[in-house]
Amino acid sequence: MRATRIIITAINYKWARHAAETMTGFATSVIGCRVEAGIERQLSNDETPDGRPGISVLLFSTDRKTLQTQLEARIGQCVLTCPTTAVFAGMHTEDRIALGKNLRYFGDGYQSSKYLSNERYWRIPVMDGEFICQETTGVQKAIGGGNLLVFARSISQVLLACEAAIDSMIALPNIILPFPGGGVRSGSKVGSKYPALSASTNHRYCPTLKGNPDSVLDKNIEAVMEIVIDGLTKEDVALAMKVGMEAICDLGKSQGIEKITGGNYGGKLGEHHFHLREIISD
Amino acid sequence: MTKCVISLQHDSQHRIDMRWLSHVLQADMSAKEALQQSLQIGKQKIAIGDVFSIEGKLNAENLQFDHSTSSCDYVGYQLPKSRRLTVNGHVGHYAGAELAGGELIIEADALNYTGCGMKAGVLTVNGNSGDYLGGAYTGQKKGMAGGTILVKGNSGDFTGDLMRKGLIMITGNIGHYCASRMIAGTITNLGTVGDNIGQNMRRGTLLLPELPKNMPAHFVNCGRHNLGYLTLLLHELHKYDSEFRSLHPMRRRVQRYLGDTSINGLGELLIWIG
Repeated sequence: MRATRIIITAINYKWARHAAETMTGFATSVIGCRVEAGIERQLSNDETPDGRPGISVLLFSTDRKTLQTQLEARIGQCVLTCPTTAVFAGMHTEDRIALGKNLRYFGDGYQSSKYLSNERYWRIPVMDGEFICQETTGVQKAIGGGNLLVFARSISQVLLACEAAIDSMIALPNIILPFPGGGVRSGSKVGSKYPALSASTNHRYCPTLKGNPDSVLDKNIEAVMEIVIDGLTKEDVALAMKVGMEAICDLGKSQGIEKITGGNYGGKLGEHHFHLREIISD
Repeated sequence: MTKCVISLQHDSQHRIDMRWLSHVLQADMSAKEALQQSLQIGKQKIAIGDVFSIEGKLNAENLQFDHSTSSCDYVGYQLPKSRRLTVNGHVGHYAGAELAGGELIIEADALNYTGCGMKAGVLTVNGNSGDYLGGAYTGQKKGMAGGTILVKGNSGDFTGDLMRKGLIMITGNIGHYCASRMIAGTITNLGTVGDNIGQNMRRGTLLLPELPKNMPAHFVNCGRHNLGYLTLLLHELHKYDSEFRSLHPMRRRVQRYLGDTSINGLGELLIWIG
């Protein structure tokens, strides 16, 4: 995976969040959305380049080119259009991808650039003044698809556990939980009986198929929920997993949580393997 | 940190071309070799050692030029990155010409064409500078193309003539024809500015504390605005030890004028408000 970080600023958090939420919409899985994106955290005025309230957004994709294409499209449609916003690089690696480099042509010749502190910024005239965007942002190798599977006796109990885990995990830097609210109910397996599909429902974890010989669920399990984690490094993902597992364990077994595991998909997906027992004992 | 001191032994009634320093630095010569090189002053060809002395190694990061006078042209010519030259005294024309990433500090005044054709680096003039600051060589079309010039006094006429990129900061006043034929970049000051500002200006920014006394007719008023990029610019201005640090870092309200409309220019003249 490749990842980038951008900083969206606006006149207040309300508008910065509108832009960030819109641009990270329909970005749950690279399988269907080409990119996985999410809000990393809220930034205070002194953490942003232009001294305004900001939101830090992380985007992950399978390759650099797709990441750039998705980034530009989403900035163009969701951030440029949002009142008072500006966008800046949130990652300063040597490897760069275009942020405002091509977006500037929206200025129809009225755009102008400023080169400050070895960074180029584009100023595009828009109807509320100017849209400021940095020319490029950094890109780096990253990890997508880290996951936890939580088994519980009921839907309400698995939701309670996952919400506790998600609340703890989203406070961490360098990671996002790209699915709605951080949880996934439609965990997938690689491949399908239908050749056109590259992924399909992970039937082994579906409680309504408990009687199926492939099922891995015990009789008392009524719901399984997945938390998917994308992070900039293996350590970031492992820390998020640890924090999430601890939050679930803090609830206690009396809350109906029967098991926490991770999907390894037969080792077919990705080079990184996370061993949960090792992670939680670190 | 190593240091090398170059001293002018006696002034000359003729111009002294200081480009020899750039040549010996590029050739990685020792001080002894450098002093044996020849130098044309007026009609005479003499050894550099007859006019200058060098203490220390020329590959030092910090260079110091003592007893400089306004006869010394091309001081800091093509000074490369990671080199810092401090000049104690006045300098002549073309100081910091084609500066290539180094840092040039002039403790007194500089004459005309200071920083002309500059490409990168930082040029500080603690006194006043003459005409064509950050401009182009006569007859050429490429003015300053990068880096920062900070003048802690006043600058002369044609400041930023044909400027293409970079930042010129002047704490004092600017002469006439400021930003003439400017192509891009930013010029800002804290004092007054002369007549015929922004003539034939194509693009770029002039950021001034008050309207020029004779506002040119070829600039059109575009109203008052909060420009977000000014925060980024102020952040840059605050990096340098100067009076520009007195500007509030979040100041961004300006009156904007666009010109030179006589040539369909899109340059901007911004006047601080409030």
